[in-house]
Amino acid sequence: MSVPNSPAPADEKRASFEREALVHLDSLYRVALRLTGNSADADDLVQETILKAYRAWHQYQQGTNAKGWLLTILRHAFINEYRRRTRHPESVDIDAIEPFAVFDQGQDDDPQERFFDQIVDDEVLRAIDELPEQFREAVVLSDVEGMSYEEVSRILEVPIGTVKSRLFRGRRLLQAKLHDYAVDMGYIKGSRT
Amino acid sequence: MNCREALEHLYEFLDQELTPELQNEVREHLEACSPCGEQFDHQDAFLKFLQARCRSKSAPPELKRRILHELFGE
Repeated sequence: MSVPNSPAPADEKRASFEREALVHLDSLYRVALRLTGNSADADDLVQETILKAYRAWHQYQQGTNAKGWLLTILRHAFINEYRRRTRHPESVDIDAIEPFAVFDQGQDDDPQERFFDQIVDDEVLRAIDELPEQFREAVVLSDVEGMSYEEVSRILEVPIGTVKSRLFRGRRLLQAKLHDYAVDMGYIKGSRT
Repeated sequence: MNCREALEHLYEFLDQELTPELQNEVREHLEACSPCGEQFDHQDAFLKFLQARCRSKSAPPELKRRILHELFGE
């Protein structure tokens, strides 16, 4: 007598976790790396996030936003266990940043293209890592992970208006840092004094 | 829409977070105002540059193995 076998609950759990959660491992790692600032802590943070998520998988409503759910777990784990022992970038005077200075070169023939061509990936990542944490979180979730303002707002647990403000400031600060780097390296001419 | 109003919506426009009506209003302003159009183009190029440079990094294979082992004993 053959009875069709339905998958055991453990197999179902594993299958759905692989399908909906583990596919976001690369995203979790990228965010963890930018939050902790080093690969050893990022590895541990991602592993801890995944194990917590697997234990709490019954709380996740399947088919909803798994990436956002996982990133919320990751961020809480970071705040509770990693933040105090990772680096804290110094605070900066955001108002001192010139809003549109980055490509305002005037005499340069094509500063924008030169800027983009010359700056290496590591320098971009270093500049992100130097952002104050509130801005870094918003930039990483929005620009690196492509999340909507609403998703970022849920993960960071702040209003959408705050997300907009942090993104604005974070992006401008990042541009200013990369601009200064490009000037220092002689890639473009400096226009700021 | 004037220049100040358009610039207030700069990132929301580029991130496609505006209502269709506002998105159109900003677009109409940019078509009529070349200084604003240039600023938006610069910011758009910067965001695309940022995304292209940062989105490619993957989790290390060793971490993936470690996690599968922890989860499923593999």
